[in-house]
Amino acid sequence: MTRLLLALIAAAVLVALPPFLGLGWQNTLTNMLIAALFAAAFNLLMGQGGMLSFGHAAYYGLGAFAVLHLMLAIENGFNFPTALLPLAGAGVGLLSGLGAGYFAAKRTGVYFSLVTLALAELLHAIAPHWQGLFGGEAGLSSMRMPSWGLEFGTSLEVYYVTLAWVVVSIGLLYAYTLTPFGRLTLALRDNEQRVRFMGFDPHRTKVLVFGISAMFSGVAGGLMAMSQETANYNIFSMAISSQVVLQTFVGGSTLFLGPVLGAAVLTVFTFLISEMTRAWMLYQGILFVLIMLFAPNGIAGVIQLHIDARDRLPWARLTGPYALATAAGAVATTGLVMLVHYAELVFADAYRARVARDGLWEPVSAFGIDWNPLNPVTWLVPLALIVLGIVGILKMRGPIAQLWATPANIPPTAAMPAPHAA
Amino acid sequence: MSHHSHPPVSDEVLVIRDVHKAFGGLVIMRGIDLTLKRGERHAILGPNGAGKSTLFNLISGNFPPTSGEILLNGREIQGLPPERINRMGLARSFQITNIFGRMTAFENNRMGVLARHGVRFDLLHRIAKRSDINDEAEAILNQVRLGHRIRTQAADLSYSEQRSLEIGMTLATGPDVILLDEPTAGMSREETAYIVELIREVTTGKTLLIVEHDMSVVFSLCNRISVLVYGQILATGAPEEIRANKAVQEAYLGEEAA
Repeated sequence: MTRLLLALIAAAVLVALPPFLGLGWQNTLTNMLIAALFAAAFNLLMGQGGMLSFGHAAYYGLGAFAVLHLMLAIENGFNFPTALLPLAGAGVGLLSGLGAGYFAAKRTGVYFSLVTLALAELLHAIAPHWQGLFGGEAGLSSMRMPSWGLEFGTSLEVYYVTLAWVVVSIGLLYAYTLTPFGRLTLALRDNEQRVRFMGFDPHRTKVLVFGISAMFSGVAGGLMAMSQETANYNIFSMAISSQVVLQTFVGGSTLFLGPVLGAAVLTVFTFLISEMTRAWMLYQGILFVLIMLFAPNGIAGVIQLHIDARDRLPWARLTGPYALATAAGAVATTGLVMLVHYAELVFADAYRARVARDGLWEPVSAFGIDWNPLNPVTWLVPLALIVLGIVGILKMRGPIAQLWATPANIPPTAAMPAPHAA
Repeated sequence: MSHHSHPPVSDEVLVIRDVHKAFGGLVIMRGIDLTLKRGERHAILGPNGAGKSTLFNLISGNFPPTSGEILLNGREIQGLPPERINRMGLARSFQITNIFGRMTAFENNRMGVLARHGVRFDLLHRIAKRSDINDEAEAILNQVRLGHRIRTQAADLSYSEQRSLEIGMTLATGPDVILLDEPTAGMSREETAYIVELIREVTTGKTLLIVEHDMSVVFSLCNRISVLVYGQILATGAPEEIRANKAVQEAYLGEEAA
């Protein structure tokens, strides 16, 4: 019931909000939806099938190029509705996924991952030299043609077409988990040997899981091509492959919506942070490491933990420690941001050049204050903030753990020793 | 096909002829001959390292024999992959508990039922709507007396419950030949008695091949016994015959008595 309500609220926001946003945000939301679908497709293979692909950019990219070729054909008079372009991505994704999966699934574990990595790197290396298929180094570009009475000229139109595709695709991926084959996928992840001895062919099963995962990755890539109207060989790069791994783990691979959440959070995070600092990848990396260390089931895992325990947690008493821990986290983050900011300034080429030429250490600024980089205080303040924040969080761990261990809804009298014990 | 052309074979469910197995230079099986008749409960006895688990792995397709043949209902199965052998009517359990830990007890059994119904690549139906399959999986769960654990994660079951579950999973694929590899390993006396009764119950009308160390289990459950020593069958016979067999006493039972 609550779940349905939440889904309706999310849908209402996704439908109603974008017209009131600027172009930058509209594009970011489109990217967010595409990333969410890509992560959900990736996690079909990783979270449900237990197969970690390090080369999912391959199927994403092939989907993108398939759609671009179709768009070019439409420009040349081929009759095909623009809104259905991602179908080309789905088809090429499925076929290439079945082919790649056939080889990759012959191995398990690390070797599986390495085969997927090698296949993607192969494409990344070949694509810039393959003029006809991938447009060489420049890549392919095309234009969205009007169809079905839609112009496809504005970002908003693209957003709504993307939204429809992503909602339907994620819905299908969820439906997958409810089918017999979806259950077989989970069984395979749990215990491949047992699956074999119960009469299932694990290799064929894996190839099909791989194919379906690649198919929806191809849809995501196709949506990206449709939105950007261009793609080049860089779409096959390791950065794209690892981004989806990162998003999936940050969101939480053990829950169906975890990767969707991770992709959404990190896309928006990147959009906001990359405007402010070139060190956004560092922050993303730190976030990833912290989540892996302290919340291995990701953001969704943490949320699920609270939902599962919602009836027994003393919420009123938790508010204080949670607020303090959050404040401490903010203090540590402030210190970290200052430190990174100084480093960025002091190690910038222009700054180094001035130091080398004039021996001049210009002041660095943070929070409207100028700090002398040669003064130890400049560096001690952020360090102190980081230490203070970490100590604060550590101090809150005990009380929070204690509140989590509180037995549920026991009347106060029951917890007291019986006065007339026999 | 072939078992139609050889009607006399039909009473012999599983036939093992002169099976050898070597891993590199290490010879484990030195010519095994063994025949299981339909409906019998047959125990494999033998000291550690005699090759009991290897024999199970050869029969169930975990790896192929170096030479020799294995016939299931008259059809050659040596060298076939495990899933094919399973579909031909042979299912096994494992010495070390081998279940789907993150799925419920019910789902563990249902995987076997799905396989038996040939539902392997079905992406178009909701599994919840397949009441025939779900009812059958529940019936098997009740049969192995885990009906009260239907929604419990398999990893959260007690050890003996997991062993029961595994027997259920072995049954679920609908085999006529069942191989159980030390189903009572690591169990208390009461648990052992419980599992033996369960095995007796659920294997009625099926052919059972079981590896077991507990003599009381073997002698009470099985009507034929083969003693495997050093990769060869030393003797095969009814429990009394095996008990009386001099060679067996020297090679194996003597050690136990001492």
